[in-house]
Parts: sequence; C-alpha cells; structure tokens
Amino acid sequence: MRTWQRLGYKDREKVMDNVGTHENWKSCFSEVAPGLLLFARQWVQSAADAEDVVQEAFVKFWRRNHNIENRALLYAAVRSIAFDFIRRDKRRARREAIVFADAEPAIEPQFEWQDETQSTLAAAVGSLPHDQREVLVLKIWNELTFNEIASALGISQNTAASRYRYALANLKKSLQPQ
Amino acid sequence: MNDFSELENELKKLRPAQPSPVLFERVEEAMGVSPARQPKRSPYNWLSLGLGLAAAAVLFLFATINMERTQERWEKIAQISPAPETSSVLPERRNGSGGSTSLNRFIPTGATQVVYNTRDEGLQFALGSEQPLRRLRYQTHQTWQWRNPTTGASLRVSYPSEEVVLIPVSGQ
Repeated sequence: MRTWQRLGYKDREKVMDNVGTHENWKSCFSEVAPGLLLFARQWVQSAADAEDVVQEAFVKFWRRNHNIENRALLYAAVRSIAFDFIRRDKRRARREAIVFADAEPAIEPQFEWQDETQSTLAAAVGSLPHDQREVLVLKIWNELTFNEIASALGISQNTAASRYRYALANLKKSLQPQ
Repeated sequence: MNDFSELENELKKLRPAQPSPVLFERVEEAMGVSPARQPKRSPYNWLSLGLGLAAAAVLFLFATINMERTQERWEKIAQISPAPETSSVLPERRNGSGGSTSLNRFIPTGATQVVYNTRDEGLQFALGSEQPLRRLRYQTHQTWQWRNPTTGASLRVSYPSEEVVLIPVSGQ
C-alpha cells in the first residue's frame, strides 16, 4: 500500500528532477500522482476518468524527458488531455444519458477527510468557482509557484495570484458561521 | 496573505484522494520498464534518413573537391600511363614485376551510394501471388573510386541509378 506524504519544496524539486531524468519514475509518480489526480478531477467527474487523464499525461511527459524547468508542462499536459477527454466525454455522456436516465450519479470524493471540519472544508473547496479552484489546487496540493501556475494555465502571474487570493477569501467567507 | 495563513494550513492538512493501485500498474504497462521496451517506432526514421543523406552529400562534395585538386596531377600521370590498369596487388607480386607495374596499379578506395529520392509506389500483387508487396523506388547516385598509391592518381566513375524494391507485406 502506497502512502501519500507531503513533500517540502526542495524534495519536490528532486522528485520532479527525477521525472525529467527518467530515474525511478515509480517513486516520482507515487509522489505526484495524488496532486495530479486532484488537478484532473477539476474537469472530469469520476476518479477513474481522472486516472486515465493522469496516466496519459504522465506517460507523455516521461517519454519526452522534460526537466524541472518544464514542471508546469506536466500540469499543462494534464489540463490539455482533460479538455480532450471532456470533448469525447460529452459525446459519450449523450449516449449514456439515454441508457442511465434514472440512475443516480456517483460523486466520488476528491479528498480524504478525517473529521467534520475537514469534510466542510472539502465541500467549500468544491463549491469554489472553477478558475479559482484550479489555482488553489495547484498552489496548495501541488505546491507550484505562481509563475509555474501561470505557465500551466496560460494566464499571467498576477492573475494566478489574484485568483488564489479570491479563492481563499471565498473559502473563509463560506466557512464563517452564519 | 497573513490573514489566510491559518486557512492555508488547514487546507494543507486535507489530503487528496489516493490513486488506485491499478493506476501504477497501468502506467507501468504504458511506459514499459525501460525505454527499450517502449512501442517500436516505424522502421522509417525520416530524421535519420535525412541526416544520413546530408552526410552522404557532404562526403560526395568533399570527394568532388578532392578530385578537382588532383586533376592536374592526374593529367600529368595520364601522360606517363595513358592506359591505366586496375589490376589487383596480388597478381603483380606473383609475377615479381611489382616495381615496374606499380605506376599502373589502381586499388579501390571508396564507393558511395547517395539515395536522393525514395518513392513509395504502393501495394501490388505479383503474378500468381496472394501476398501483397510494397513497391519502393530508390533513385541513387553511385560513385566508385580507385587510387594509385604510387602516383597518387585517382579514378572516379559516377552514374545515376534507379532501384525498385519489392517488400512483402505481412500481417494484413
């Protein structure tokens, strides 16, 4: 059973450096996979679909031998492949909607919470506007810099930083007792 | 930002959902254990082919320049030896007349085949055969060179050639 642990920034650089140099990709992947999956879940509904997206992105990234300077490219690849998936999935969804018209959609949790507070926090994150949530996910759980976030999302660094602040402000507001 | 530091800490305590163990197996399978196990690429590596052709062209040009430099020398030698022979070294030694015939002795020094065009002419069926064949036409320029080690004279023959190759196609 693999366990997930938070990495320090320097450790993370080492991990990503290893990804770039083809060394020990398994340990690299086990470290970055949870964050990548969470990022992919911003666009695709199910965990299984997110895993498909992450698999495709990571394998492409590894084969092209990108280095740490292109770290944002891995996340950009996840995003791009997720968009492609959505386009394909829309067509599939239309077909499946006819078959499963009465079935309840299965919403799989994006986080593993331990108490009620964390559950509330996870729900609050889920209710954030999409553009704010993706920046928050990259910053908090993937530990990208604003520069890298900007590069991965194709926005300016200032926009990335302001979206992050808006996300935190919105979270704080929604978590305040009514 | 200080206003949000507590919230950021709370967020960092929240753990993303774990990927399924199957994902690692799938990625491993997709990636292969080593780059050598990656899916085999097309046998036609166009970049390598292009570089190879470029290298061959450079060699060809170099050989041409070399020939021009020795042209004067060649003319002088041609006067001495108007009918150069391309006899091999061994028979001369057997005859024991190596010293006297060394001026006429040319030995092969190089052969160049520059493929400057390749055309895939598609699939075809040979008469009486059920297996399809891919017809490839190669247009080349061949150059053969000989050199007289004693006089330094060299001889070069160049000519264009065309070759048609039929490759059986399997797994159709």
